[in-house]
Amino acid sequence: MTGDPHAGTDTRDRAIAALAAIAIGIQILEAAIPSPVPGIKPGLANIVTLVTLLILGWRAAVAVTLIRVVGSSLLLGTLLSPAFWLSLAGAVASLALLAALRPFAPRHVGPVGLAIAAAMAHITGQFLLAWAIIIPHPNLPLVLPPLLLTALITGSLTGILTAHVLADPRIQRHVRNPTANH
Amino acid sequence: MNRGLLRWGDILIGTLAAGIVVAAFTLAYSPSGDARVLVINQAGATPQHEPLDRARVLEIHGPAGITRIEIEPGRARCADSPGRQNICEASGWLQAHGEVAVSLPNRLTLQVLGTEPGFDSMHY
Amino acid sequence: MRAAITQTLLLLLATSLLFACGRDESDTEQLAFYAFGTLVDLSLYPAGEYDVEAIGTAVQEELEILHTSWHAWEPGSLGRTNDLLAMQGEFSAPPSVLPLIERGREMETLSDGLFNPALGKLVAAWGFHQDEPDGPPPDEATLAELLDDPPRMQDIERNGVRLRGTHPDLQLDFGGLAKGLAVERVLELLAERGVDAAIFNAGGDLMTLGRPSERPWRVGIRHPHGGVLGSIELDAGEALFTSGDYERGYDWEGERIHHVIDPRSGRPSQGIDSATVLHHDPALADAAATTLMIAGPDAWPEYARKMGIEQALVVLDDRIEATPALALRVQPGPDREPFVIRELP
Repeated sequence: MTGDPHAGTDTRDRAIAALAAIAIGIQILEAAIPSPVPGIKPGLANIVTLVTLLILGWRAAVAVTLIRVVGSSLLLGTLLSPAFWLSLAGAVASLALLAALRPFAPRHVGPVGLAIAAAMAHITGQFLLAWAIIIPHPNLPLVLPPLLLTALITGSLTGILTAHVLADPRIQRHVRNPTANH
Repeated sequence: MNRGLLRWGDILIGTLAAGIVVAAFTLAYSPSGDARVLVINQAGATPQHEPLDRARVLEIHGPAGITRIEIEPGRARCADSPGRQNICEASGWLQAHGEVAVSLPNRLTLQVLGTEPGFDSMHY
Repeated sequence: MRAAITQTLLLLLATSLLFACGRDESDTEQLAFYAFGTLVDLSLYPAGEYDVEAIGTAVQEELEILHTSWHAWEPGSLGRTNDLLAMQGEFSAPPSVLPLIERGREMETLSDGLFNPALGKLVAAWGFHQDEPDGPPPDEATLAELLDDPPRMQDIERNGVRLRGTHPDLQLDFGGLAKGLAVERVLELLAERGVDAAIFNAGGDLMTLGRPSERPWRVGIRHPHGGVLGSIELDAGEALFTSGDYERGYDWEGERIHHVIDPRSGRPSQGIDSATVLHHDPALADAAATTLMIAGPDAWPEYARKMGIEQALVVLDDRIEATPALALRVQPGPDREPFVIRELP
């Protein structure tokens, strides 16, 4: 009995580490796969954040996301470069919006809604950072609409994928795991 | 996972997001009257385009000295220019499409262009 | 989360810049430089067709030659001619000056003497024969003397290339005509160099050579008090010249002294702030613009008719008057009152 809380935390930490590792793997694979429009990525690592959020809660999602941002930039060699700060800004913005939506999930808002909201917040956060600091060019707002449209599409896709992942029996087991406070 | 992929919150968020995308496209690409540019033409140099979006001061060096150009959102003026007649300064704020100010001593023309088709030449 | 998209941002930014430039991208090529004592601006159509650099250099060289030859107070061909005319002996005129004298004579006749290039002394007396015009204005006695039997163009006797001045006060000043002739010369030069379509703009006065294949030329007209007076679409071979009190002048004891001197009063013309003339002959347009300004608010339509000008407008203190033919063509600028139509008598 005495070891139980530790064992619980341990499982949780290990789950977070595993999820973060998966997220880093996805992000690096995505970086390696050429895309029809250079730079635009489907953002599949977003699935991991959402799965974490819905299984382990918001704090775990924050941990997984931040580890992913730092970890993948370490491996890609972009740590503290503009790409890193943009990635971080996007992550922080989407986590903030997910925090706001947390009370409604999963009862009223499912993975698709969360994914769309997160993707839109992500791109908006990146854009604001880019516009305010990195390239304050007056024509930059012209690129925001197509980026938002892309975010809407990729957000919907990752949301649907997240729903499928969550529907998987192996994941379902964890969803019902009483160690998750949700 | 409950049956059915979407909950009402998903549909609400999706609709809101689509609305934001449409609004962003409309706002960014609709021709607004404020999309004005100041074209600074100095003899012997390629024309310089300065969007009239935020307040700032430019200093253009010419053969007779420095012409100070004040830019504010939507308008610009020749704040100070060499020459005793102050013809450049006297042009006042330039804001309508096609308005020009000329500094002969510094061999400079300033012209505001809007989204309307530009003029081939300016008669003054 | 979505992967870092700096690249996307930069890429899309670049595209948007190209796009934005593409929107402004005109089918003409612009070239601006300083020549003939003013800011010169050349628009060539179609873009990318010509050796702009070479054309610009050729135009600049031609204008420099004309500027030195025709300058009213700096030493040059006209300066030498003035010295020799004052001596009232016969001499061989520099060839560059002869067309000026011929056109000047013609304009003086057409304008009933309102446009008189022989009155250089009067213009100089008002302090305009220097780069920065300045007072003091001539006193009454000087003016009276200058206006007593003033020189005219017919006080130059011409026999082939031989000229003789017959009036002691005769001094030529081709302000109000030289630019028109220079514009004519530059357009010939452009045509020789194979330019199909161009606008040559010398300090605001301009003329078209040919026109773009798909559209007319679009020209904005600046209001002398600031802002845009209106815009006009020009066809091939049309010259637009304006004479205005804002062009050269100085303030003397609270009064604006400008460079257009009325030969009747010997003083700067009054009542018209600027006069604009559209005609296919740039020299005539130039001289007529000066003439209409001198003629004044009442008489300008009469002088327009005398000079064969159908398209003209004048800017007065509180209104803009235009001939019917020009009023039809000029699109008034935003917030501008419609023109007051003045029929030619």
